[in-house]
Amino acid sequence: MTNAIITFENLSIGYQGRPLLGDISLSIARGSFTAILGANGSGKSTMLKTVLGLIPPVAGRIALAADRGKSFVFGYVPQTTNLDPLFPFTGFDVALMGAYGRVKPGFPVPAGERAFTRECLEAAGAQGFARERFAELSGGQKQRVLIARALVTRPDILVLDEPTSGVDAAATRAVLEFISRIHREKEITVLLVTHDLPIVRRHAQQVIWLHQGRALNGPVAEMLMPERLMSIFEMEVQ
Amino acid sequence: MESLLQILSPDFLLRNSVYTSILVGFACPLVGVFLVLRRLVFMGVALPQISSTGVAVALSIPLWLGMNHAAQSSQSEHAMAFAGSIAFTLIAILVLAFLERRGRGQPEGRLGTAYVVAAALSILILSKNRYAELGWLDLLKGEVITISNFDLSLTAIMLALVLMALALFHKELFLVSFDRVMALTLGKNVVFWDIILYLLLGLTVSLAVLSVGPLIAFGFLLIPALVAHLFARTMRQFLLIASLLGGVASLIGFWIAYAWDFPVGPADVMLLGIFYGIAWIIAAIAGLTPDKRLSRTHRASGGNEKAVASL
Repeated sequence: MTNAIITFENLSIGYQGRPLLGDISLSIARGSFTAILGANGSGKSTMLKTVLGLIPPVAGRIALAADRGKSFVFGYVPQTTNLDPLFPFTGFDVALMGAYGRVKPGFPVPAGERAFTRECLEAAGAQGFARERFAELSGGQKQRVLIARALVTRPDILVLDEPTSGVDAAATRAVLEFISRIHREKEITVLLVTHDLPIVRRHAQQVIWLHQGRALNGPVAEMLMPERLMSIFEMEVQ
Repeated sequence: MESLLQILSPDFLLRNSVYTSILVGFACPLVGVFLVLRRLVFMGVALPQISSTGVAVALSIPLWLGMNHAAQSSQSEHAMAFAGSIAFTLIAILVLAFLERRGRGQPEGRLGTAYVVAAALSILILSKNRYAELGWLDLLKGEVITISNFDLSLTAIMLALVLMALALFHKELFLVSFDRVMALTLGKNVVFWDIILYLLLGLTVSLAVLSVGPLIAFGFLLIPALVAHLFARTMRQFLLIASLLGGVASLIGFWIAYAWDFPVGPADVMLLGIFYGIAWIIAAIAGLTPDKRLSRTHRASGGNEKAVASL
């Protein structure tokens, strides 16, 4: 794929040299919306950590294609439950962290970065939460702040780790609609880890389905056809 | 009030002790904030004790080598005590951090064991030390009375360095403490920043133990931060309230100890304990205790989710 932003080349991923998923060769197109699906324990988190560079591949390689003259930046959106509510950060404080990658240690965050953070909070519909204590926001509000933080990084790709985990149905719909909108308007590449099929059907273009140590890859329409799902689920049951 | 004016006077005989107490009172809570936020409260208990064991060991080395105690100057004794304190503290921090990263066993169990073993070792060393009565036990207990100009200068310079480092690198230290994965995706070296934080923690604990003893060091590391956490809405407020409370408590504690002839350390810690009790009652009445905040957040979530959905 010539327009690939991420390419897996004979990739095996796992921990301590033991592969969990093997021989993965696929590409994620620039500007696409890709969902990583799979059952609990199928390797979704391991794949995400490998893509983010947190754990090394067991074999093969991941090629990242940043814009010319610029290092590759992930706009990472974690599950809100992973963040400790003990920290008295405001929504603005949390979003501003997205700029820390561009500010050298020992230097204050420039006014321009602060203004850009406010813009991103506004774009994410989270400007009203900027002065609120982050820990006291609801799940959907926290997700908006975290998406704003990811935008502040000026990302090559937005990586969302089950962003609707612990969020109710109405807020889930709102958060995903918003992600879809910024994907369309800003032409930003989105990589979404989820186990929610209706969300994938509605928003994603490409699916990477992890099961039984392999990664199946294809367009949503093809991967989520009833016959294909039947075959995947039968394989999982076996 | 007359006694307060006396201790604030530049001619006050124990002025170095007052200044040192206040310096430790202002500085310790700023480091203690990280212990509270990273849920390392037990480390705040164990480290001052381990640090004081380092002092006991360092001051006993000349005796073990058969050297004459009278031949040593107060400054060299203090420098040795500082070296022992910081060496033990840093080794303990690095070992505990390494075990923490390996994620095996119970962290509380490790810290509890480190605390009691360090306390027992201090007692054993001092029981065989014929010079303990010359003041080393006072040093370990934190009798803030005999602080020389050299001690005060050393404490002031080192604490200033710690505060400067915290001010310069607070972005990185807070980021790796709050969201390690985010820090890694931004290219931050989280192990490096953890080590910097532990170094600052070790330095502050060592200085505090050497100046005011393990009891007060623990009190000032944790109680002001716990009180401030009840009321602070932002990180800036958290740091300011904790530091100011520590500084003011150390001054009032010294005043009470001087006016009523109490030992300074226990007076400071009792005062902080009273502050904590009063703060908790005020927070409970105002609905600011963690459980009430949590239930309010949960109540709000339903309505807020609908509001978000409508955006």
